[in-house]
Amino acid sequence: MASDSKTAEELARERLIDLAAEFYDQFDNGEIPTMTLPTRTKSNIEYDEDSNVWVYGDRTSTRSANSVRGARKLLKAAYTIEFLARQLEEDRSSTLRELYYLSESWDAEEAHFSGQDESNQLIEDLEIVSEVTREDFHMRPEESGATLMGPLELREQTRRGEREIHCQKDVGEGGYQIPNNPDTIEFLDHDIDFVMCVETGGMRDRLIENGFDDDYNALIVHLKGQPARATRRITKRLRNELDLPVVVFTDGDPWSYRIFGSVAYGSIKSAHLSEYLATPDARFVGIQPQDIVDYDLPTDPLSDSDINALESELDDPRFMSDYWTEQIELQLDIGKKAEQQALAARGLDFVTDEYLPTRLDEMGVI
Amino acid sequence: MTSFQSTLGDESGIAEELAKGQREISIAEFFEKNKHMLGFDSGARGLVTAVKEAVDNALDATEEAGIQPDIYVEISEVDDYYRLVIEDNGPGITKEQVPKVFGKLLYGSRFHAREQSRGQQGIGISAAVLYSQLTSGKPAKITSRTQGSADAEYFELVIDTDKNEPEIRDEKTTSWDRPHGTRIELEMEANMRARQQLHDYIQHTAVVNPHARLELREPGLDEPMKFERATDQLPQQTEEIRPHPHGVELGTLLKMLGATESYSVSGFLQEEFTRVGAKTTEKIIDSFRDRHFGREMTWKTPSSREADELVETIEDAVANKGQEATTAFAEELVDIVTGKDRIAHGELLTIVGNVAESVGDDTGKTFGDTVQENIVEAVWPVLTEDRESDVYAIVDDVTTTQKDDAGKVSMARSIATQFAETTGPTDRATYDDVEDFVSWAAERTKEREDETYGETAREKIADAVWSRMRTVEDDVPKVRDIADDRNIARDLLEAMRETDILAPPTDCLSPITSELVEAGLKKEFDADFYAAATRDAEVHGGDPFIVEAGIAYGGDIKSDGSIDLLRFANRVPLVYQRGACTITHVVKDIGWRNYGLDQPGGSGMPKGPAVLMVHVASTNVPFTSESKDALADVPAIQDEVELAIREAARELKSYLSKRRSLQKRRQKQDVIGRILPQMATKLSEVTGREEPKIDGALARIMNNVSVERTIEDGTVTLTVTNYSSTNESPDITDILDVEPLGLNGEANVVDLDGEWFVKWNPTVAAGESETLTYSVEQDASFDINVDGVETEKLTVNA
Repeated sequence: MASDSKTAEELARERLIDLAAEFYDQFDNGEIPTMTLPTRTKSNIEYDEDSNVWVYGDRTSTRSANSVRGARKLLKAAYTIEFLARQLEEDRSSTLRELYYLSESWDAEEAHFSGQDESNQLIEDLEIVSEVTREDFHMRPEESGATLMGPLELREQTRRGEREIHCQKDVGEGGYQIPNNPDTIEFLDHDIDFVMCVETGGMRDRLIENGFDDDYNALIVHLKGQPARATRRITKRLRNELDLPVVVFTDGDPWSYRIFGSVAYGSIKSAHLSEYLATPDARFVGIQPQDIVDYDLPTDPLSDSDINALESELDDPRFMSDYWTEQIELQLDIGKKAEQQALAARGLDFVTDEYLPTRLDEMGVI
Repeated sequence: MTSFQSTLGDESGIAEELAKGQREISIAEFFEKNKHMLGFDSGARGLVTAVKEAVDNALDATEEAGIQPDIYVEISEVDDYYRLVIEDNGPGITKEQVPKVFGKLLYGSRFHAREQSRGQQGIGISAAVLYSQLTSGKPAKITSRTQGSADAEYFELVIDTDKNEPEIRDEKTTSWDRPHGTRIELEMEANMRARQQLHDYIQHTAVVNPHARLELREPGLDEPMKFERATDQLPQQTEEIRPHPHGVELGTLLKMLGATESYSVSGFLQEEFTRVGAKTTEKIIDSFRDRHFGREMTWKTPSSREADELVETIEDAVANKGQEATTAFAEELVDIVTGKDRIAHGELLTIVGNVAESVGDDTGKTFGDTVQENIVEAVWPVLTEDRESDVYAIVDDVTTTQKDDAGKVSMARSIATQFAETTGPTDRATYDDVEDFVSWAAERTKEREDETYGETAREKIADAVWSRMRTVEDDVPKVRDIADDRNIARDLLEAMRETDILAPPTDCLSPITSELVEAGLKKEFDADFYAAATRDAEVHGGDPFIVEAGIAYGGDIKSDGSIDLLRFANRVPLVYQRGACTITHVVKDIGWRNYGLDQPGGSGMPKGPAVLMVHVASTNVPFTSESKDALADVPAIQDEVELAIREAARELKSYLSKRRSLQKRRQKQDVIGRILPQMATKLSEVTGREEPKIDGALARIMNNVSVERTIEDGTVTLTVTNYSSTNESPDITDILDVEPLGLNGEANVVDLDGEWFVKWNPTVAAGESETLTYSVEQDASFDINVDGVETEKLTVNA
């Protein structure tokens, strides 16, 4: 495993240098250096029948040194390639934010990033053209990864050596922290029946406190809002390597559906990594608009932006299924949304004793 | 309430009382009270105006005499007053004229002349004299020496304001070092607060009079301001012209009619007006006849089937001429009449006369006036019997198909009735009459048939009828009859105005010409760009005028605030009352953003480093007041000013947009030229290879023309690659210190003292390259020079 990972890094470095060589050759042939990328918009993602995930379509856009803007972008790319190649050579890593600040130290002023969005986007560009993931560039996000809790035993490759951890017995209330590159983890043993991804910390704590993981042999993955790549990656690995069913439990509003969407189908921004990150057969538990009606949950009215988001989801290729069309139209109809915690209106144990068992039973998970 | 009338009645003789206080005011006295009207409202202004009047006179005098003007202006402080001395090298003024020229207001040679000159009314310089005497009490001192005379005449004079006559205080013969010229010395209460305006006036005068040498000394200047000649070319001598028919007013026409020695209108027109020859006279007179007499309606002639009836009618009208002659007359007349398509009353008279003569000759019978009258009287009713169907055809022809037939019939009937009942036996009407007929007909038609004939429909019908009417050949009234009758005169004036007449000749005008406008601007303003435009002559009020505009942009011209507007009338700078001037109004109304200048709010004075000059030359410049500071808003002049400015501004626009695009290109080139090498360096670091060549990519990005040299085994190849989208033809000169051999390509070699100039002028199509090869035997040094391609677009790597 360790030697495999080395190879991944070497491969990453090779790919980066190949990319630089491509620019070099373009120059040398008297051509204008260009970098062609798929257009990263909603209208340019399509369903890939083979892998069951959403990937970029055929439309591309070109970054070319033909314009001042394009030339700056390519200069930044050249500097970033050099930085990443050296980082890999030295076996170090850095965060996306560090890259942004680090650019300030580069001698070419034109190469400095104007904001972190720009550096983040450039890393994504490089991932796409080099077909290497950010993790293999040793770039990590600042936000700490989310947590796991459940009957899973794993081995993690840390800087201080290998650690074997049981995600219930060896961890505190907070659970096991997912590392930035979950590919350094090896699953050893487990007693899991299904994986449950939970959006909010409050609900995750409720489930732990009520012993839901124990009672149902569930692995609780805390998504912490829009899930980080590491969280999505480990979810996918749990599904693929351990052959576990995955369900997603979020609030009942359009933003939460997008969280489900990115777990299940991949996000628009990282559709190039869908195959690597998405868990296409993850299933949505709730809160469903139908639940709001059935359980008469306490609600908030939909705001204008909620309505826009719902309408936009109706056009989103990832949500074009009978189930989602029905649910979204229902929600637009009732004009209401509900949080996970709204279930507490029927008692603190309602969610673990009644709601989840019923839903999971319906879905055939338990 | 007390009646005001009764109160007045009580005090008898109030009018007489008032009359005691009423007396004639001399023009000089009037001026004394209204100095501001002539530009002498303050001490500061008075000084500038005095200089201006004297310099204008000096320029006029020298130019008229064909002398290159050399004008000296000196202002000095003397006790409490300012002393102003202006000297010129003009032809001088004769001894008799000097007192009147300087000592009498409204005395001058210009007022009655239709010719472009600076001075017009003969007020200016005598007003300056008056101002000086009013403020300092000192007389004006004038020295003048005419060409060829041994001595100069010296006068000290004041103006008697009661009589508007010069009063000579001293008079003597003196010597003067100038061979000819005039010198005037005035002392006046003044101050130098208008120094800027004074300097502007002198500088701007120099701009529009590049043929003049000017010098100004004043106490605030360490060194005299000198403006040297930029050209030896004197302005074109102007010719006096007669008025143009399009520009006279009724009053002027009446005056001219009264004064002319011509007897006939045609003589009058040709003698008194410019651009009126025999043909134009005929056109004007016909048009006058149409207005004064009206036209005669023509009617359709009878068809040959109806001819027999007409013959009978004629035969019945003729008595005692014998059967043979009568029949011959009738048949010939009918033949001629039916041979025509339409006929008017006057025409019939002529034809009858002609036939009478020819048949008379043939038959020996005399068909006298009475017989002829009888015949016309008998024939005309037959010819006009069916006016209605004739008019119907006309109405039908020009009326849209949507109109009802009944309406058309009604229109035709009404119009025909009008002709029958109101025009007398000759069916004669003016256009106004015809319009009235049609209107009346339209009203009746509306009433009877409920069909509306709108304004357009009516006009169409009136025009159609009018076009079938024929100008009469009556004799036009004589000049003296017209002079006595306003109404006839008005018809004549209208006829003059409505007739197309050539624009007035322009030899009465002396435009600066666009070349010299540019030269003048170049002389005084150090700018990056100059443009000028001279319009063709136009007419306002019978006076021709020409408008010229010039623009200088960039360079040393101040870039903050509004542009500088220089206004000129007949080569005289206008310094005051900018806001009241039509030129300013026009400039403010132009959307300067279209021409690449800033203009906050899209109107008003544009901003930026520019000088805009506008010159209006005319035989009569319409000023807003006697002080001649601002042009009046005359629409014809406004239009031309606008067109002239726009013409020059268009050039500015294309210059600026080109400059901007080059600037953008340069910026892009700068940035990309900085970025790409940095990128290349980084790439070579990452890949561990030596730095890549980037010139090709750079040239491609900039749509450039690249010139590249490669040398291999003594073979030199020059490659010109055109990455732009249009053909490029660079002029390439490659200078070598060894002889180039085996030149391959279309180039010439010139050997100059051990240096070889390879001259090559390829035309390279967009996206293509051309090559030139030659060989050299030893290590050679090269020096390449490329022209014919803008530097910004050129990448030379050779």
